[in-house]
Amino acid sequence: MLSSASFIRPSSIRTRPLRRHAARSLVTSIFSKTSTPTAEAEGCLKNIAKYNQYTNAFVDLTQPDHIRSQAAEATRRWESEAAKSAVDGAVMGYKMNFCTSDLRTTCSSAMLENFKAPYTATAIELLEKAGVIMGGKTNMDEFGMGSHNVYSHAGPARNPFKIIDRSPDETKELEARSAGGSSGGSAAAVASNMCFAALGSDTGGSVRLPASYCGVVGFKPSYGRISRWGLVAYASSLDTVGTLTKTVDDAQTIYDIMAKEDPKDSTCLTERQRKAIADTINPIDLTKFSDQEVKTKPLLGVRVGIPQEFNVAELAPATKDLWRRGIQALKDAGAVVIPVSLPNTKLAVGAYFTLATAEASSNLQRYDGIRYGHQSDKNDEKDALYTHTRMEGFGKEVKRRILLGTYVLTSGSFDNFFLRAQKIRQMVRNDFDRVFSRRNAITGSCGNLVEDFENDNSTATRVHALLTPVAVSTAPKLKDVIGDQIDPVDAFLDDIFTIPASLAGIPSMSVPFGTCTKDGFPMGLQVMSQYGDEEMVFKVAKVIEEKGKGMCSEKQGEQ
Amino acid sequence: MMRPWLLRAQQATGTRRLSYDHTPRIQPCGIRTLTTAHSLHHPQQQRPVHAAPPPTRNLVKGRWEPIIGLEIHAQIKSNTKLFSDGQTSFNAPTNTHVTLIDAAYPGTLPQLSQECVDLAVKTSLALDAHVYPVSSFDRKHYFYPDLPQGYQITQHYEPLAQNGKIELSPLDGLDYHLTVGIEQLQLEQDTGKSLHDVYPGLTLLDFNRAGTGLMEIVTKPDLRSSKEAGILVKKLQALLRAINSSDGNMDEGSMRCDVNVSVHEVGKAYGERSELKNLNSIKSVVDAIDAEIARQIEAYESNEPVTQETRGFDVSTGTTFRIRSKESAPDYRYMPEPDLPRLVLDLATIRALKAQLPELPDVQRERIMSQYDLSLIETRTLMGEDGMVEYFESVVSKGPSAKSVITWTIHELLGRLNTRGIKFSPKVVKAPQLESLINCVDRGVISAKVGKTILNLMIEGDLRDAEAIVEEKGWKQMENHDELDKLCEDMMSQYQDKVKAVQKGNVGVLGFFVGQIMKQSKGRANPVVVNQILRTKMGLPEVSESEGSGQSSSSDQGQKSKKKKK
Repeated sequence: MLSSASFIRPSSIRTRPLRRHAARSLVTSIFSKTSTPTAEAEGCLKNIAKYNQYTNAFVDLTQPDHIRSQAAEATRRWESEAAKSAVDGAVMGYKMNFCTSDLRTTCSSAMLENFKAPYTATAIELLEKAGVIMGGKTNMDEFGMGSHNVYSHAGPARNPFKIIDRSPDETKELEARSAGGSSGGSAAAVASNMCFAALGSDTGGSVRLPASYCGVVGFKPSYGRISRWGLVAYASSLDTVGTLTKTVDDAQTIYDIMAKEDPKDSTCLTERQRKAIADTINPIDLTKFSDQEVKTKPLLGVRVGIPQEFNVAELAPATKDLWRRGIQALKDAGAVVIPVSLPNTKLAVGAYFTLATAEASSNLQRYDGIRYGHQSDKNDEKDALYTHTRMEGFGKEVKRRILLGTYVLTSGSFDNFFLRAQKIRQMVRNDFDRVFSRRNAITGSCGNLVEDFENDNSTATRVHALLTPVAVSTAPKLKDVIGDQIDPVDAFLDDIFTIPASLAGIPSMSVPFGTCTKDGFPMGLQVMSQYGDEEMVFKVAKVIEEKGKGMCSEKQGEQ
Repeated sequence: MMRPWLLRAQQATGTRRLSYDHTPRIQPCGIRTLTTAHSLHHPQQQRPVHAAPPPTRNLVKGRWEPIIGLEIHAQIKSNTKLFSDGQTSFNAPTNTHVTLIDAAYPGTLPQLSQECVDLAVKTSLALDAHVYPVSSFDRKHYFYPDLPQGYQITQHYEPLAQNGKIELSPLDGLDYHLTVGIEQLQLEQDTGKSLHDVYPGLTLLDFNRAGTGLMEIVTKPDLRSSKEAGILVKKLQALLRAINSSDGNMDEGSMRCDVNVSVHEVGKAYGERSELKNLNSIKSVVDAIDAEIARQIEAYESNEPVTQETRGFDVSTGTTFRIRSKESAPDYRYMPEPDLPRLVLDLATIRALKAQLPELPDVQRERIMSQYDLSLIETRTLMGEDGMVEYFESVVSKGPSAKSVITWTIHELLGRLNTRGIKFSPKVVKAPQLESLINCVDRGVISAKVGKTILNLMIEGDLRDAEAIVEEKGWKQMENHDELDKLCEDMMSQYQDKVKAVQKGNVGVLGFFVGQIMKQSKGRANPVVVNQILRTKMGLPEVSESEGSGQSSSSDQGQKSKKKKK
């Protein structure tokens, strides 16, 4: 039992509370002085009218008049300096697997095609309290299972990149690209400016991969940071509420609103735990640097690791190049970049699909058509009711994963598959704990012996953050990922870089970092840090974001 | 031990807070450390050590030994369900106590009830079991329309408590002492109800019960006869009711019992066991076990195979029937419940719950029998009614002798309530009322006969004390010797022949006179005094009070004086 593993707390570690809230003014409006919620909402509505048909990002939309009246109220609040929050009046999209009492919650499944939830997810309740307006519900892979948003009852979402500001005729010529999945609709909606930001859910990379493909910021916080109440479960021990935004700052703003204790989700961190985690995070020691250096180099004192195991054979040369440029950007910002090893990375994908499908098969048991959702007409006897209802209600990929998961959990294969995957998951966690200079705040683990930890830290072989690619390539063409020509096992490759962070429950962000020199499509880099250390992710991601902006325009100019 | 990085979440669900261990659960079945809960043992609850029961006992036909174990599901008597704030209910209109969590709506998550945990911990402690400092939840999967989630949340790998015991003794109706081990106690969810054929061909679903907390209590296979099993169930029922953790009603379904039975020849390998399901009364448990033992023995004797299977019991024919064989047993695909972190119970919490335990039935029985010098039957009757022990003790504490209180409580009051079909409650005749009544009788203010009349009035709704009733009705016993003298003389002159008979030595005839005088006085004459007067007048020697006529009043007075000597 892990929790009984005892270790001695080294006396040399001094903990100090991190006062991060003091650093940022609470009500920094997302609206520039020249804009208002009303004007922004009108922009969103215009873009929805323009791009939604092509992208298929929003499946259900709030009535425009309803958006307008809410935006008008928010505008008045801003004018009278009574705004609810920095994002009061902003329009957001919510992935179809978040329960909202308005609009349907279909999870892109025929099973829930007409399902309207009688309640609202905690994360969305918190956003609504902050004044956020729901623009609509976004497309996704059925129940979150997929990497290209093609397994959707509402049809695939399309990558909006390159269609912006082109005429409909021109877009017809384009070969549609994947928006990524499973939060493809959310990423496409944000990328085409149909909303200020969107909520996604990330189980194995479902926010980060589409963010990379669509050129937006995709953020998956630590497991347990944001309540899962109202998020329809795919794999409960991996599911996290994530955000898709245009900037790292926006991600941070929305995250701060949603990262709250929630008694409705027992796996959600309590305020006490949050404080305790903040206490274990030591500030970076900047004493040996001059003030001048500190001002110009935001990452002074920060060590970033480059996991060697992520340099896989399948990595496209352009992606490798991108990664190299990212490393240089961090070095330029004053960070020390060192190679690190996460030896169990290659085992992660197998473990992930074993555990995720097992939990999915369990979580999807409830869809029997009896209390809600699709019910087959062919219900002459008990078994037939289940058989037909589930046969008709679930799509191909969902059925495949249910079958796989059911097999994993059968008594004959449980030890061999489920337990082994659990062990690998722990090995992956240990890998991370071994390279991070901070302890895992929830388990206290430093990956190996405390003495080694002390030594490592003094010789500075441990790091604050990791930098990796998000995907092996840019967004593939939809025709290459639709249909039977794609081997489902090959499809798992899409997630190899995002899965380790999901298994370990650590925060991870996909930040746009320019476009591919070959096809001109955007690519992202992934920043990860120790459990509970979201601040470090934001800090490093902002540097990448800043550098990426310049590169993006430079490359586009070349074309 | 202080471990700063082991952060325990606390979730507000009541006055106290539940603790969770958020560290990832790697393996569902780790090595568990036993709590030192057994060191919390209350000295008062130490049971005497008895000789072990005979190793082989209750052999059937002299050579077949039945091996029996029970799995009991007791519904937790909590206000809300195990994982939601839905109200628990019994016989409420269908589907009126169902929350989103109970109906397993998409996106909902279980929230463990503090109340259910507390009651289960108390029950575990009462069963002398080890309560684990950390326990966890698992999912047991199967498809059935009345199981909304498609799985039951239970504690398959790390149950709440293990290694308890229940002691059976001659006081429980067994001829020997027997310790029955309790394998484990685990928390789990109840299902909804399927109502078949209310409308022909249709199954209707009622989810009121779905998600209600259950304690699954599993015994070790320590039982060897249906009688032992029946007594065990009864004893467990009494225990659950004493703790108030479950109603334990088998007929209402708040307690359900599955039985594992196998039979083997002494000295040979154990036989294959069958599991008897859906037994809904203690009688069915006993009858089903007997029928199954007989069936298995018959199979062995006629060289037919006995296989592991699940069987039901047909009450009308008194036989068991196959439900499914081992081969068709479902694979429940147990999986650690990812929506609930492990439950943490620290020693202080367990200690606090231990301190809240009421006096347990065995201890109470022993104490009552010795403290009040009551018989086993009297004690059982007292303990058999809800609140009657407290009622009895509250009357005794005011002064009356235990003997007279027990007579008035279980014979007079309970007897009258039973004939009227009223369930005992301390509210029907309040303790101070009964106390005043017993006082009046014991002090000789009224006769026992008048006392019984007054008790009737009280049962019928007279809320006054006995004194007030006596006063109003003028039922005060005649203590006036002149008046009684006259009555006695009248009677003696009326039946002179009988006086002669008495004087000749036929003392029994004296009773006739007492009876006549009581009749004449409408019960108000004090029979003891009358007896004395008659004896004096007829020239017989006086007798001591305790050898008196056997009337309750006189014998009670005898008890009273005896008590004073203490």
